[in-house]
Amino acid sequence: MTAHYLQIEDLARTFPQPGSKIPTTVFEGVNFSIEKGEFVCIIGHSGCGKSTILNVLAGLDHASAGHVIMDGKVIEGPSLDQGVIFQNHSLLPWLSTLHNVTFAVRARWPSWSRAQIREHSVRYLEMVGLESVLDRKPAQLSGGMRQRVGIARAFAIEPKLLLMDEPFGALDALTRGVIQEELLKIWARTHQTVFMITHDVDEAVLLADRVLLMTNGPNARVAESVLIDIPRPRERATLHEQSAYYPIRNHLVEFLVRRAKTLSIAARDTEIRHSPKIVNPVKTDPWPPRPAALHAR
Amino acid sequence: MPTKSLSDPFNADTDLRHGRSCQHGHDGPGHCGCFDTHHHPHDREPQGPIAQTQVGMPRTAEPAMDADAAMDRAVESAIVRAMFGHNEIDRRRFLKLLGGGTIAAALASVLPLDKVKAAAKDSLGPLEKTKLRIGFVPITCATPIIMAHPMGFYERYGLDVDVIKTAGWAVARDMSLSGQYDAAHMLSPMPLAISMGAGSTAAPFIMPAVENINGQAITLHNKHKDKRNPKDWKGFRFAVPFEYSMHNFLLRYYVAEHGLDPDTDIQIRVVPPPEMVANLRAENVDGYLAPDPFNQRAVWEQIGFIHMLTKDIWDGHPCCAFACSRAFADENPNTFGALLRALVEATQYSSDTANRVEIAEAISPRAYLNQPVQVVQQVLTGRYADGLGNIQDVPDRIDFDPFPWHSMAIWILTQMKRWGYIEGDVNYAQIAEQVYLATECGDVMRELGFEAPTRTAKNFNIMGKVFDYTDPDTYAKSFAIGRA
Amino acid sequence: MLSNLNLRAAIISISFLIVVLGLWQMATAPQALVGGTQELTEYELMMGIGAQTSGIPAPSQVISHAISELSQPFYDAGPNDKGIGLQLLYSVGRVLAGFGLAVVIAIPLGFVIGMSPVLNKAFDPYIQVLKPISPLAWMPLALFIIKDSNTSAIFVIFICSIWPMLINTAFGVAAVRNDWLNVARTLELSKLRTAFTVILPAAAPTILTGMRISVGIAWLVIVAAEMLVGGTGIGYYVWNEWNNLDLASVIFAILMIGIVGMLLDGVLVQASRFVRYQD
Repeated sequence: MTAHYLQIEDLARTFPQPGSKIPTTVFEGVNFSIEKGEFVCIIGHSGCGKSTILNVLAGLDHASAGHVIMDGKVIEGPSLDQGVIFQNHSLLPWLSTLHNVTFAVRARWPSWSRAQIREHSVRYLEMVGLESVLDRKPAQLSGGMRQRVGIARAFAIEPKLLLMDEPFGALDALTRGVIQEELLKIWARTHQTVFMITHDVDEAVLLADRVLLMTNGPNARVAESVLIDIPRPRERATLHEQSAYYPIRNHLVEFLVRRAKTLSIAARDTEIRHSPKIVNPVKTDPWPPRPAALHAR
Repeated sequence: MPTKSLSDPFNADTDLRHGRSCQHGHDGPGHCGCFDTHHHPHDREPQGPIAQTQVGMPRTAEPAMDADAAMDRAVESAIVRAMFGHNEIDRRRFLKLLGGGTIAAALASVLPLDKVKAAAKDSLGPLEKTKLRIGFVPITCATPIIMAHPMGFYERYGLDVDVIKTAGWAVARDMSLSGQYDAAHMLSPMPLAISMGAGSTAAPFIMPAVENINGQAITLHNKHKDKRNPKDWKGFRFAVPFEYSMHNFLLRYYVAEHGLDPDTDIQIRVVPPPEMVANLRAENVDGYLAPDPFNQRAVWEQIGFIHMLTKDIWDGHPCCAFACSRAFADENPNTFGALLRALVEATQYSSDTANRVEIAEAISPRAYLNQPVQVVQQVLTGRYADGLGNIQDVPDRIDFDPFPWHSMAIWILTQMKRWGYIEGDVNYAQIAEQVYLATECGDVMRELGFEAPTRTAKNFNIMGKVFDYTDPDTYAKSFAIGRA
Repeated sequence: MLSNLNLRAAIISISFLIVVLGLWQMATAPQALVGGTQELTEYELMMGIGAQTSGIPAPSQVISHAISELSQPFYDAGPNDKGIGLQLLYSVGRVLAGFGLAVVIAIPLGFVIGMSPVLNKAFDPYIQVLKPISPLAWMPLALFIIKDSNTSAIFVIFICSIWPMLINTAFGVAAVRNDWLNVARTLELSKLRTAFTVILPAAAPTILTGMRISVGIAWLVIVAAEMLVGGTGIGYYVWNEWNNLDLASVIFAILMIGIVGMLLDGVLVQASRFVRYQD
């Protein structure tokens, strides 16, 4: 068995419930893997535990059971190898745009000279188009710009694994679109391994190589691993013209609307330990969907 | 001057007597060279009674003696001779046996010859400490302590004194106890209280001199102009500067004589003197028995009048004093002596009525009393407005007499017993003598050329009742109103 | 627009001052002398009629006194009589000593307490009990143990002004946003670096607010302490003038106390400008 770049094994997260002996299980027995350079999104309803998975991957939270192995090493805590872009930009408000990035770069490469650090930081800020606002404080930037700084900061430290927790959730639709494309551009140059949480199906289709689908919690499962078989480079403007677009999209939407819940109920009686079922909607779900298929399962 | 009796008493060969063979006078045959000044210094040694040798044959050479050395020798001589009952033969025999050095050592172990010599010389040795801090509370009672500064009395005795204005009696006590003040202006009962551990940690304090006698008054608010009889004072609130003060004891004595119980019929509060006038104006108190200048100040501010001078309760009562710890006096005897002399002189200077105006000007400024000079002058000269429309002329309204009578201390102790400030058996005489240094003060006064009482205790007459100091216990229990 | 606001505020402020001073002057203007042009009798002289009484002084008296005091603020006529400038310097010196000591202890201790919920709970009862104790209650105890009045005053300032800083620092540190702490964690910053580069700047505005409150308390305390103990300082100056019932002096001293207090606060306001940020 080839070793995957990122391997999640039997991950579980439970919380003790006050007033009851039975702990609440957010998820149990989760197994999946990510290859180097892959862009993976995970979609699920609120409360299914996807943020928890991300926090465990980031090392900011610990799992109740199971472990995560990246590049041969077990992830035990936060490290510079796991870069995080938070949902709330988490910029340090007393530092300027540039200094927020140099702060991270210096932590990554403490032996670098000041000039090196600055040059490196500016390069990444240019990649997100912020070279003109280097000295502004975050309070003086728009929401979109702040998130871009967060992206630049995360990319600048060149981590092995980039974790993004609904990074565009706080932005309006138009800004979101612009930044998604910038993310794609910067990712195309650096080819980080990315694990991203999102609610937005279109976003997942645009950005990801694969989409993991989680059922509802409690006792959520990573049910499916959906292949996004659309060639790159992808563009927002032309994405919906791709033939694979609608099948994939519909599959995802249908999961979220119906199967997330039903699978979750059914799963209570099946084996805990599981791996997501690999699905390629292009091959299995032609457009338009046959009425019978909608009632399957 | 060669003196036979001043030869070395620890020398077995000297004869300290003048004998028959001594013929006092110059140039006579067989004359005793006792008073002979014409001889060579080496020849000064007088001969033994048996030796008939000429004067020019010294047995032991002695250096020339100055007045101090002569004095020292006289002391030694007197003591040694006294030891042997003035028997010269015995002395010399004994000395031959043991040797002069042994005798001297044995003597020194039982008698501090140095101290005796110093006392006999009655001149001070070098000062151990010249820079002193003396605390005072800004009232006219502290006049001698204060005016000794601008008028140079301290300097005259080689002392560089900083007189430090103190916020109140409690602070003065604490600063004295902690050693931040070398000496302080205190109320006369305070050294007694501190020595006995009443109201503070016990530390032996001494009071070598009183600062002022009289000088206080009972002041009432103007609205009580018609209530001159203390029997009408039921329910009044009075202020005094401190618990252990003559003010408190005199007020209690006064109202008790008029049939009021000071603990139940009136209220007595402790208020720092500077705040008394303000409290009177605000009618927080109906009156106070306070140190001046605050009585006169109340008149000056036209809010009160002077009901009675304390001199009319007990003429010659002590008020404030100069006190220091016994440790200070023991460790710095010469400094203490100089300080005592400076203050006694200052006190005597202040008591002279001719100097009062000058003193009033010296102590009124901001660095000292910080009061209008007219107010201070009225207090010191005794020519004052009483707030009732009259000008009074009472020259000894305040007076300065340093002598700390032991019987004053005993009276204070009886009052402390009477009102329950101290309990149990009190050895009145012993405490009084330990704390009030009447003898020393008297000696210093005489040395400086002033008259001083020969006894240390006498009876006093307070509001018509005689205080017999020989029987304090009976006195303390002899009152109708009291807690004893 | 802003300058218009400042201008209007200034006008209202100054008019208010003029009205208050005017009323004050009218209420306290010295009355005509008894007897007018006649010479005062000796009794009247002794009673102080004609001399300055010590009722509430008029603003003109206060101002003239102020001018005379401020014209030679640093004169030194012995231990009991020094100029107002010197007295203020003594007081400010003591405040800075006591306050400085409090800063050195409160901020690190507050940091530690803020970062550890266990220590927070453990120390809380002590803080709550000691916090409300008045400086006037500490003073006798301090004098008794420490004996030296200067050191006692500094100690009392320390023990009274430490609490706002301690509490605010602990609060500020505990309230640092988790997001920022997570940033530090993902960047593998050491605890010390996190403390200095993330927690400290984040908590700095709260800490400085605590310092502002503390310095105000310290200044309050020193005046009270000096009135109790005496010696030197503005509190002693007030007490000394109070002894003489010289209210013009006392009012002048009060104004100086207020002005210096305002300046001390102003320094910290400027400092807090440096550390504030918008979130």
